[in-house]
Amino acid sequence: MKLEDVLSSRLRIRIIKVLIQVGELNVSEIARRINANYKSTSMHLKILEDEGVLQHKTYGRIRLYRLNQSSPRARAVQNLVEIWEHANKGER
Amino acid sequence: MMSQYKSVFKDETKLDINYVPYKLPHRDRELRLLTEFFSFILHAPGKMAQRIVIAGDVGSGKTVLSQRFGMNATREAEKRGINLHYVHVNCREYRGSLFLILYHAVSVFHPSFPKRGYSAEELLQILLQVLDEQDAYVILTLDEFESLIEREGTEAVYKLTRLQETRVNKPQRLSLICVMRNLKILEKLDASTRSTLQSNVIHLEKYSKRQLVDILSDRVSLAFKPLTVPEDTVSLIADIASSEGGNARFGIELLWRAGKYADADDLNVVTPECVRKAASSIYAVMRKSEAAYLSLHEKLFLLGIARFFKESERAYASLAEAEQAYAVVCEEFNVKPRSHTQLWKYLRTLSAVGFVKTEVSENIGSRGRSTIIYLPRISAHELEKELTALLEKDV
Repeated sequence: MKLEDVLSSRLRIRIIKVLIQVGELNVSEIARRINANYKSTSMHLKILEDEGVLQHKTYGRIRLYRLNQSSPRARAVQNLVEIWEHANKGER
Repeated sequence: MMSQYKSVFKDETKLDINYVPYKLPHRDRELRLLTEFFSFILHAPGKMAQRIVIAGDVGSGKTVLSQRFGMNATREAEKRGINLHYVHVNCREYRGSLFLILYHAVSVFHPSFPKRGYSAEELLQILLQVLDEQDAYVILTLDEFESLIEREGTEAVYKLTRLQETRVNKPQRLSLICVMRNLKILEKLDASTRSTLQSNVIHLEKYSKRQLVDILSDRVSLAFKPLTVPEDTVSLIADIASSEGGNARFGIELLWRAGKYADADDLNVVTPECVRKAASSIYAVMRKSEAAYLSLHEKLFLLGIARFFKESERAYASLAEAEQAYAVVCEEFNVKPRSHTQLWKYLRTLSAVGFVKTEVSENIGSRGRSTIIYLPRISAHELEKELTALLEKDV
C-alpha cells in the first residue's frame, strides 16, 4: 500500500497514537479508545499489521497489538507522531 | 512569625508498613532457609519449581520475610542474567479470587492486559505462555493464602500447585510461597494438594520482648534523629507489642504514633507518655465505667501510679515507688493507707482489668527479683484526670 493510502485514515492514525501512548492493547480496548466499532477496528489493525507498522501476539482469545519496533516503518511513524504532538503542545 | 518546624523523625517512611528493611533481626535463619529452598532458581532455573509455606501469627514477620527474600533473589538473578520476577499478592485484597490474583501476575508483564473475556484457568495458561515468551521465572507469593482457600477451595490451589504436570519437558517457571497464619486451614484442601504444600513449611515463632526491642531499636536508628527515643520508650513499646502476641507490626506502628505525639507536643524526645497516648489512640479509650467499679483504695493506688508516671516521665515503676506515690495520694485525700499485702491484691485487680501491667524483673546489681509496673495503653494524664474526678465524688 502507498504511504498516502495507509496514513489517509483518521482511525488508523488514532490507533497508532493510542498504541504509542499505552504500549499494547487488545482489539476491544483499542476500538473503545478510538471510538470505533470492533469490526472496523480489526480491519484497520490488519492493514497496519500488513504494512509492518503493528504486530500482535495471541493469548487464548486475546490479541494484543503493539507497534512493531523491529520495523523501520513503525519507528518512522512513531517519530512523526511524537514530533507532531510535541510541536502541538508547544503551540498551546 | 511561624516557628520553625522541628521533628523527632529523620525519615518516618522507615516505619511505613510497606518498608522492607535490609536487615531482618531474628529472622536471619528463616531467610537463609528460604534462600536454600530456592537455590535452584539461580543454579538451574527451569529445572524445578518450589512450593513453600510460611506460617506465623500476625506481626511475626511473614510478609517482610518473603519480600526481603524476593528482593534478594531478584537482585542475585539479575546479576546472573536470569529473568526472575518476584510477585507479591495479598489474596485478601483480591477477595481471594484466583482470577484477580493471576491477573495481577500477568499485568506485571502486560500492564494493559484486558480484564475480561477469559477464565482463571485460561489466565493461568496465559501466564505460562507469557513466561515462556520472555524466558522468565516467577516466584508468586500468595499472602493471606487463607482467603484464596476460603473463596476458591481445593480445586484452584490444586491447579496452582500441580500446573507443571500439564507441561511435560517444558521449563518450570512458576514457584509459590504461600503465606498464612495457621496451617489448620490446609485441612480444607484435598490430601494430595495438602501434602504438596506441607512438605516445606517455615514456621515463624512469636517474637519475644527482647527480640521486639532489637527490631524496634533497628527502626529507631533508621527513622529517628539520634537520642530522640530513650531505651525506656523502646522497652515499653516492646512490652505492649509483646502483650499483643509478639506483634512487631503493631509495635512499629506504635513507635510511629508515639513519634507523632512527641512532634505534636513539641518535644525533643519520645517519652513513655507519648507511647501511652499513642496506645490509647489505637485501643478503645478506657471506659469510664471500668474505673468507676474500682474500690476506693484501688482508685487511690491507681491515681498514685498515674501521678508517678506523669511526673517522672519514666516507663516503669517499682512496686515501692508506686506505694510511695499511693501514700502521698492517701495523705491528700485524708485516708489511712492500706498495707503492703493489700496493695499487692489491688495491683493484681488493676492488672486483671487492664489498667496496669506488671512484670517480674531481675534486679541489676543486687540480689532477688522485683515487680515493675507500667501503664500499657492509657495516658497517665488522662488516667489522673479521670480518677481525680471519680475520687472527688467518693471521698
